[in-house]
Amino acid sequence: MPEKSLTIGSTVALPKTEFNALLADLRQEGFQTVGPHVQDESIVYTPIETLNDLPRGIQDEQQPGSFRLVATGQDRYFDFIPGAQSWKQFLFPPKLTLFHARKEGKWKIEANGEPQPRYALIGVRACELAAIQVQDRVFLRQDFYDPLYRARREGLFILAVNCLKPVATCFCVSMGTGPRLQPGFDLCLTELDDLFLVEVGSELGRSLLAKRSFELPSAYIQNIANQALEHATQSMGRTLDTSDLPGLLMDHLEAERWTEVGKRCLSCANCTQVCPTCFCWDATDRIDLPRKVTVRERLWDSCFNPDYSHVFGGNTRPTIRSRYRQWLTHKIGAWKGQFDVLGCVGCGRCITWCPVGIDLTEEIAAIRQEVKS
Amino acid sequence: MTTTMTNQTAHSAGYADRLLQPDWAEIAKITPEAEGVVSYWFKFLDPAIQSRYHFAPGQFNMLYVPGCGEAAISMSSDPDAPDGLLGHTVRLVGNVTKAIGRLKVGEVVGVRGPFGAPWPLDAIQGLDVVVASGGIGLPPLRPALHHITHHRDQYGKVTLLYGARSPKDLLYQNEYEGWKQAGIDVQVTVDRGDESWNGRVGVVPMWFYNFRVDPRKTAVLTCGPEIMIRFVIFEGLARRIPAERIFVSLERNMKCGQGACGHCQLGPYFICKDGPVFPFSALEKFVNVEEY
Amino acid sequence: MCPEDDLFTEVQKIPWFRDLSEKHLKFVGEISHLRRVKIGEIIFREGDKEDNVYIVLEGRISLDMYVPARGKIRFYSAEPWEVIGWSSVTPNVHQRTAGAAAVQDSLLLAVDAEKLRQLCDQDHDLGYLVMRRLANIVASRLLVTRLQLIDMFGEPSEKKNA
Repeated sequence: MPEKSLTIGSTVALPKTEFNALLADLRQEGFQTVGPHVQDESIVYTPIETLNDLPRGIQDEQQPGSFRLVATGQDRYFDFIPGAQSWKQFLFPPKLTLFHARKEGKWKIEANGEPQPRYALIGVRACELAAIQVQDRVFLRQDFYDPLYRARREGLFILAVNCLKPVATCFCVSMGTGPRLQPGFDLCLTELDDLFLVEVGSELGRSLLAKRSFELPSAYIQNIANQALEHATQSMGRTLDTSDLPGLLMDHLEAERWTEVGKRCLSCANCTQVCPTCFCWDATDRIDLPRKVTVRERLWDSCFNPDYSHVFGGNTRPTIRSRYRQWLTHKIGAWKGQFDVLGCVGCGRCITWCPVGIDLTEEIAAIRQEVKS
Repeated sequence: MTTTMTNQTAHSAGYADRLLQPDWAEIAKITPEAEGVVSYWFKFLDPAIQSRYHFAPGQFNMLYVPGCGEAAISMSSDPDAPDGLLGHTVRLVGNVTKAIGRLKVGEVVGVRGPFGAPWPLDAIQGLDVVVASGGIGLPPLRPALHHITHHRDQYGKVTLLYGARSPKDLLYQNEYEGWKQAGIDVQVTVDRGDESWNGRVGVVPMWFYNFRVDPRKTAVLTCGPEIMIRFVIFEGLARRIPAERIFVSLERNMKCGQGACGHCQLGPYFICKDGPVFPFSALEKFVNVEEY
Repeated sequence: MCPEDDLFTEVQKIPWFRDLSEKHLKFVGEISHLRRVKIGEIIFREGDKEDNVYIVLEGRISLDMYVPARGKIRFYSAEPWEVIGWSSVTPNVHQRTAGAAAVQDSLLLAVDAEKLRQLCDQDHDLGYLVMRRLANIVASRLLVTRLQLIDMFGEPSEKKNA
């Protein structure tokens, strides 16, 4: 296909053998290619170089409190559903130096002026892109924006992948975020056995793809891909009725169910760590012994942290029940008023990685049931 | 629904992208007020910032002690003070405030602000105002009292209710006479007094039993321990003052002051950004839920 | 003691006696007298067996208790229209559980509690009104006491960041 007829919105058939060169081109352009990799019987996001680093022939089974890798024996790279890690660690790092302050007579500040890395995220799912876009609303506002998030976000290359094999904890369809990618990516893949269908989402994506050899996909191939996506849409592991949210939660803060789930929840904060939209953070100071140089750092925090709602005189959320309620009513409730969208993208991580298997779709359904009766 | 620009001043908007970096101000004066409560008066090191900085009554600064951290402290001084000093009355109870308590005149703290929704002094013009405060809740209301005394004819009957644990805990005692002279009815009460105390002994909310208010033209500004606030609101509502005209300043764990870190949330509100001053009508749904 | 008519006028003004019929107001007027006190004057002491219920008309009266090693503690002050000594209206307590002292020059209406009880026994309509008012006073004192008990301005044991 001639380069000049490749436009934003074009879809081409890219042989899998071309993929490594695409990654190499990205690195040539100054991007750090990070993507999924099997590690510690899970899948993490880490620097990758070639297709070989990806989870080849791997799927996973996810249930509340359970994550298992399964070998498929197939030469496919994106049949798995992502693990605990999300891409938020690259835009909103778990630990970030904000500034140093030095006392030379008076105190002087040296801001963190390090150039921010330019990441190429390889294998971003629809729910994950939606999550990034949710966090954009949190970190890039007029009255507050994180210049380091902005630098990383502007330097980001998103190579997305449509999900074809959702697992039991997926409910992106209910949240309107997937499984098919919506605009916001640079390139988007749909994996077939021998090739990738690649859709162009941006000028940057187009110019990189233009260097590869590809073909026009046949109608037959496009059909297979569409059917696979349609099948994925029908195979969601879970659903969440959002028609009465956020009101259902915000109007029933004293439902019995909160007490019940409060007995099961360990307040371990796993859910907030794996959730791709959770954004709470804390700032700490570390000063040296002579008290002349201090480092101010930002760290991920969690509303499950008992100190989170400490005030003079005590704690406004001293019980696990109150903290679980805060998390869920924020994520699927108050968030909407704050950022114009719900905070949940239906990725299901919180369900999979909860050690006691608390499933928010089940909790919400139970509250709905309790309220109706 | 989220207020983004409305509570920001031209100055505080400058902190939007600075990721907690403060400007530096030195302590010009220290005034002990009561046991464990001290007032600090600051002046920015940079004269350009000093002249440009302006706050509205009810707003707060994030005060930074290097090596320790930040604390959200309301301004308690007159926004139009001729000496331009920025006053904060601080109760020395936590890590950061105790660190402030160890500082001397001439030493420097970081300042970010002013942040937060102020007392609605323009909206309540023409009304009778009941300022109901207790303990360390008076400092955030003091700038409002200054404003009212500077513009006394813009308001109707103005009453200051102030309660503390005992006579020695009463703040700003040497200012009560001046406020009375300026046309404010000053009603002070203590939880318990000794033989030398000839003033009121009781609690602030009970004032409503002794005095009539016209609910059609009364506004209440209240700040103090949450239980005092709760009963002030209760008594105010019982006398038919509309919830829209009862204004409360809330306190939560504030870490960033800019609605970014999540800590101070109450329902849909970031207390630091949508508050700390709220009409009670906005809070009714949430404050009565235990542990919310 | 003031002429009856003047007392009757005074009694009529008091919000406590609103709702009383003219007949009842006359009864109450007959068993009351006005008492002026100067700042520092003691109206009654803890343990006194005196038997009046007082309504503050002007000034301020503080109630106090003596605590060994801590001295006299003032725990309540009564402003105009407030009632002190009300426990003598209900027969259980036969001595004062607190002292009352004027902390400002004050004017009180003193009502003979025993005669008031007799009036209430004879005229249950009056009795009902008096008891209703008493219940309101007790309720509001209880609320104040609870708020004082909670010690809302106190120092909690937990201290942390800011």
